[in-house]
Amino acid sequence: MLKGYTDKIIQKHSDGRKEGEYDAVDVDFVLLPDPTFALLLSELREMRGRIWNKEKVFVTVDHFSPPSTVERANIAKAVISFAEAEALPHQSVYQGICHQLLVEGPWLRPGMLILGADSHTTTAGALGCLATGMGSTDILYTLMTGKTWLKPPDPVRIDIKGKLPPYLMGKDIILDLLGRFGEGGFLYQALELNDHDGALPMDDRFAICNMVVEGGAKNGLFIPDKVTRKHLENRDGQIGDWGDYFDEKPLYPNRMEVDISSLHPKVALPHSPARVVDAEEIRGESIQQVFIGSCTGGRLRDLEMTARLLRKKKIASGMRLLISPASQKIYQEAIEKGYLQTILESGGVILNPSCGLCGGIDKGILAAGERCLSTSNRNFQGRMGDPSSSIYLASPATAAASSLAGRIIDPREVMP
Amino acid sequence: MTLPDKISGRIWKLGDHVNTDILHPSSYFSLDEKRVREGLIEGMTRLGANFKTESPHEKLVIVAGQNFGCGSSRETSVRGLHNFGVKAIVAASFARIFFRSLTNLGVPAFECTEIQNQARNGELIDILTTEGFIELPKDRRFPFSPLDPHVKKILEAGGLIPYLQREREGEKDGI
Repeated sequence: MLKGYTDKIIQKHSDGRKEGEYDAVDVDFVLLPDPTFALLLSELREMRGRIWNKEKVFVTVDHFSPPSTVERANIAKAVISFAEAEALPHQSVYQGICHQLLVEGPWLRPGMLILGADSHTTTAGALGCLATGMGSTDILYTLMTGKTWLKPPDPVRIDIKGKLPPYLMGKDIILDLLGRFGEGGFLYQALELNDHDGALPMDDRFAICNMVVEGGAKNGLFIPDKVTRKHLENRDGQIGDWGDYFDEKPLYPNRMEVDISSLHPKVALPHSPARVVDAEEIRGESIQQVFIGSCTGGRLRDLEMTARLLRKKKIASGMRLLISPASQKIYQEAIEKGYLQTILESGGVILNPSCGLCGGIDKGILAAGERCLSTSNRNFQGRMGDPSSSIYLASPATAAASSLAGRIIDPREVMP
Repeated sequence: MTLPDKISGRIWKLGDHVNTDILHPSSYFSLDEKRVREGLIEGMTRLGANFKTESPHEKLVIVAGQNFGCGSSRETSVRGLHNFGVKAIVAASFARIFFRSLTNLGVPAFECTEIQNQARNGELIDILTTEGFIELPKDRRFPFSPLDPHVKKILEAGGLIPYLQREREGEKDGI
């Protein structure tokens, strides 16, 4: 009996070795961003010329992009020199956030097993991959061997039903799930999502899979469908054959249904992504800053939604609206489509693609007592600045609407 | 063998859902060990742990609740704890990346649901790794969930990289 598609991917990648509950598996692709790289600096220098397969490694400078301190500049320099010395074919400097670049590139297909040295690697599950994040030492093991040890997680099937209302986004759907099940509600589970009516655009699926880790899940996987096929066609025309990964129907012990047509826009309150309420319940909460960007909320549909809400309007007096597209490619497309022009005219400030704001690394750092409504994925205490500052999480629609009002509102109040 | 039969230390007690952003704030991300240590002290302050180590060489054991170490995969938090003298962590449950990183650096993580309500900050704790029990003062004894054989092998090797060296030596010997 098939336990789930995540389990099937693990079994098909197994090299036959088993220890306890763990299987040794072959890894298809590895993502290595700058801070994790920095922690492995001496080990990586020692293993020059011994990476198991350079074609399957993608190194990015995206956290310190561009660096804001001398130490970070030295880290970025070390990453760049290593990638050059090793002649790594896949590397990116300042081109965008690693999780967006990973799914923009031509590498991933449904059924693949992907590791990244960053917890939000789960994002790539939207393409039907088993994608999960790990720490530096785990990634070092994979770079040396091409393998990792995985304990197959218990699957939870989530059936998404209904049409997506114009004011609702993937972010609201994942916040709803986190609110209902809690911060550790999916601990060591695999969420397998089936979008029955093909209602969710790929950008919304990326936002959902990005945040499954906030519930403790090992991975989140959208069962490939016509939306996946269309996305791969538009990406590079190479759809590939994933049939034998998804041909059987698993018998899930845990199932749930989400009717997206009846969901209301959501907000996560400080300091947990699982403290979730309807936006209308905290209507009027004052905020000084709105951030639209990150690997959860900086994609083209996010900027399109932002521009739609801001068109021919000005943000509230005293409000700071910061926008950071998730990649240079998205940046370019948002310029071509006029979204960034609209945002600039409304009073938004456009920053380059980077992990900086979301991780409190640089730019838009919050002062004592300040409150920010953010489209990013984590609102832990002090993440974006002073420990007495507060972060609220919401969709780009709710964030853009609230930047007009100067306080948190439900986007339906100003939706054109 | 680097997984001792008995691990002893003074308890540093924490709550549920302790995330890595608060445990080790990202502004303290650094390759400088001193700065990493400062980050951990800042994290302790933010977590309201008013516990002071009696000497910089004191052995510590963290006792925590559900979903310990959730959030970022930055290994600085785990390395920071390791360098600070944390010899083991006992929690009701662990976030998966954090659990792996602890194991990979040779810091044993034990799952035990009952102990959090019983343990007090600053008390002494003994973890009897082979017997499968945790002991607190006044003869209080709690079983912990048995370690998975794979996890145990990594801990016995002293971490994932020494484990890999053993794997490779095993291959050479034709095992």
